[in-house]
Amino acid sequence: MLDQYATTLTFIALGAIFAYSFYAVLIAGQLSLGQAGFASLAAFSGAYLAPSGADVGEIPALLIAVVIGMSVGALAAVVLGLPTMHLRGVFLAIATLGFAEAVRVVLLNQEWTGGAQGLGVPRVLTVGMAWTALALVAYWFWRMGRSRYGRALEAIREDELAARSMGIDVGRHRLAAFVTAGAVAGLYGVLYAYYVRLIAPNDFDFIAAVEGLVTAVVGGSTMFLGPLLGSGFQTIVPEVQRAVGVEAGWIRPFLAGLLLLVVILFLPGGLASLIPRRTRMPSGAADDDDAAGLAGRRHPAAGEPVVTLAGLGKEYGGVHAVRGVDLEIRAGEVVGLIGPNGAGKTTLVNMISGLVPPSTGSATVLGTAIGSTPVHRIAAAGVSRTFQHSKLFNRLSALENVLVGAHLVSRPTFLRRLLWLPSARRDERAALRQAARCLARVGLTSLAATRAEALSYGDQRRLEIARALASDPSLLILDEPAAGMNHVEAAELSQLIRSLAQDGLTILFIEHNVGMVLQTCSRVVVLNFGEVIASGAPEAIAADPAVIEAYLGSADDDVDGGLLAEGTRADATPAEDAPPDAVMNLRPGDAGTLDTPDTGPREAT
Amino acid sequence: MQQLLNGIFIGSIYALFAIGFTLVFGILDRLNLAHPAVFAASAFVGIELVERGGLSLWAALPIVFVFGALLGLVIERVAFRPLKGRADAHFAGLISSIALAGMLVALLQWRYGPDTRRFPPGSFPDTRFEFAGAQVTLVQVVILAISLALMVGLTYMVTRTRLGRGMRAVAENPTAARVLGVDVDRVTAVTFAISSALGAVAGVLFAINVNTAQLGMGSAIELKGLAVIIVGGMGSLPGALIGGLLLGLAEVFAVQYIGSSWRDVIAFGLLFVILLLRPQGLLGARKVREV
Repeated sequence: MLDQYATTLTFIALGAIFAYSFYAVLIAGQLSLGQAGFASLAAFSGAYLAPSGADVGEIPALLIAVVIGMSVGALAAVVLGLPTMHLRGVFLAIATLGFAEAVRVVLLNQEWTGGAQGLGVPRVLTVGMAWTALALVAYWFWRMGRSRYGRALEAIREDELAARSMGIDVGRHRLAAFVTAGAVAGLYGVLYAYYVRLIAPNDFDFIAAVEGLVTAVVGGSTMFLGPLLGSGFQTIVPEVQRAVGVEAGWIRPFLAGLLLLVVILFLPGGLASLIPRRTRMPSGAADDDDAAGLAGRRHPAAGEPVVTLAGLGKEYGGVHAVRGVDLEIRAGEVVGLIGPNGAGKTTLVNMISGLVPPSTGSATVLGTAIGSTPVHRIAAAGVSRTFQHSKLFNRLSALENVLVGAHLVSRPTFLRRLLWLPSARRDERAALRQAARCLARVGLTSLAATRAEALSYGDQRRLEIARALASDPSLLILDEPAAGMNHVEAAELSQLIRSLAQDGLTILFIEHNVGMVLQTCSRVVVLNFGEVIASGAPEAIAADPAVIEAYLGSADDDVDGGLLAEGTRADATPAEDAPPDAVMNLRPGDAGTLDTPDTGPREAT
Repeated sequence: MQQLLNGIFIGSIYALFAIGFTLVFGILDRLNLAHPAVFAASAFVGIELVERGGLSLWAALPIVFVFGALLGLVIERVAFRPLKGRADAHFAGLISSIALAGMLVALLQWRYGPDTRRFPPGSFPDTRFEFAGAQVTLVQVVILAISLALMVGLTYMVTRTRLGRGMRAVAENPTAARVLGVDVDRVTAVTFAISSALGAVAGVLFAINVNTAQLGMGSAIELKGLAVIIVGGMGSLPGALIGGLLLGLAEVFAVQYIGSSWRDVIAFGLLFVILLLRPQGLLGARKVREV
């Protein structure tokens, strides 16, 4: 029975292992087609360098070849990855494809590979060995899924910039995913070589790479069983067709293509989406020890400087978005940053959180000089932020979003999870408790299992705050947190901010809702045309004639409606002087509800 | 000199193929991997028109152009439109177009069988020219002229006409374009139609140039098309032209001076270097996107 299907089963296992090498990078949102090149290099070097089965026994020879092949694959991934990791999307795919093609042609022209004739390799691999190898690979990715490392990769896939701001070192994680792909592709190459008896460089061509990618995507690239399902599907469809007597020729590829099309169009998550996904819920009880399992953070004592800006400025092609800002924020303060649209508020907080390097001046945030320091380092120093336009990890649940936020305070668990160490489970629980606490704090506990993209607008904004809180920051930056919220929601938010401040958190927030800022803050800073025009206690600001002139319009308007309308008029005139990061809202109250082109400065890579 | 001209002829076909590729990518941000199947299909259809329909080579070209445009509409409808708004539209579009390409090639196999097809003897005029000491056939000159004319026409359309303005608006920001009254679905469909029509003409011209059509000819040119659009700059039409000519020349000279087996290393070596030094390509503007 098994013998009859041994070939099919072996090919399912081999195809699945190859598909896992694509899954390894797809999970981090990278599209690479270089795996065929890794597999090719591994197959030839493994088969060529490993001792012959006659000397050491067949299985040891295979194992040695596997070790060689995986090392070669991983090494090739490092060599290819270092210069190409800054590429994204299709560019990365084509660069890696170019690499694979170059490998193919080079190997074709080598004598030791046998060129187009190929290299003979003894058949050692049995169906059992193939499935053992597949089980090990699948186990690796299964244990990775719910580890801190696995979550970080998913976060990078969903929103790279937000992942960076949560303290994830994106470059290192992407390279790690790429190297994993190289090693797994290497494993595939060697196993394939020791099964098919004769390997030629053309076995690892563009079509092979595309097949691997198709298998991974059809199976589902967000769940660890995906590649296995995909390979089963891709291998069994032709077999079934043969069994039911469909003639070879055009019908088979036609039906295969049709099925593939149907799967991709009607099952967005691939075949794996048919498997119900267990959603994680925060364990409500066991609140025994709050901080156990979490990395400790040292917060500055009240009154210590948190942010020190000296002459900070940012220029975009001659336009001064921010000019000569001197500002000190001390621990425990709640600072509101207001100003008309285009005043440079977002640019200023982007500089403070390290997303945008300043053109002039210097700044120290929590003891870290900003400028060339990468975003994740500044996050590690204790800065956490939300974004003007929500940047959530859309396909992750609310709870998972907050878990990613806890990246900096949780401990790496992947390797310990591979070994089922109880300490990994303890640490994961601690991270879950932390996430649950943050969700509860913003009142989203009941929506913990909901995907972020399915949340209402106001809930998304609250979730962003919960995610930012999860890293136990010393400085929390909120960029228009109340935009698009109604009065009730805004009042709740104001309440939340005040309660966070009572816990000793330093908060800097941008808001257009002037009433809310005046109520919430201990100090208000007013920015206009990139310069600080006033700074002081809320009452003083509300009475400051310069502020009223520049921002609030005429003083006798009522606070709620009139102020906002005047604010709009005030910035309608200088619109052409506005810095390129300014998003021109039709009405300040609508900020963020209209899908405005996001022209804010972004890191290109 | 002969090599130079050969390089330019083959390069102009690569360019025409790649321009269709890059048009869809530049405007819609989707890589349409069914494009090579259109290339192959139109070559077979072109041969059939000449062989069975008794049309002259040049009368078959406009028909193939229309055929390609129709295929483009089908591709957009079946493989791309249903994916609109999906978070994984990038990957899914790649896969759905690969699936559709597989089906198209299977249909070709059904209609024409697995064998190589050729134009019937006597389809080509025998006129030859001497040009600076090199042999040039009339067919080659016409190939070059048609390629260039189509590319110039396309550039004119994109930069000067109302439709072209709609395309550029969609490329910049589909949502804003829709708000401003651009019929995004129509522009998308037309873009696919034009792209595929160009790919179809490239397919026939390629078949004329080498007088063969094979089922695998699409995948053979697919890699080159990808290389060309990267080298020229993703979404850049003049970039695709320059990239195509460069690749044609590089190949011809590589074959002559290094040996035919190394030809593809040259192409991909060039590709790799460009990606590392200038990821936006020779003429591409760096487009900053959120991932």
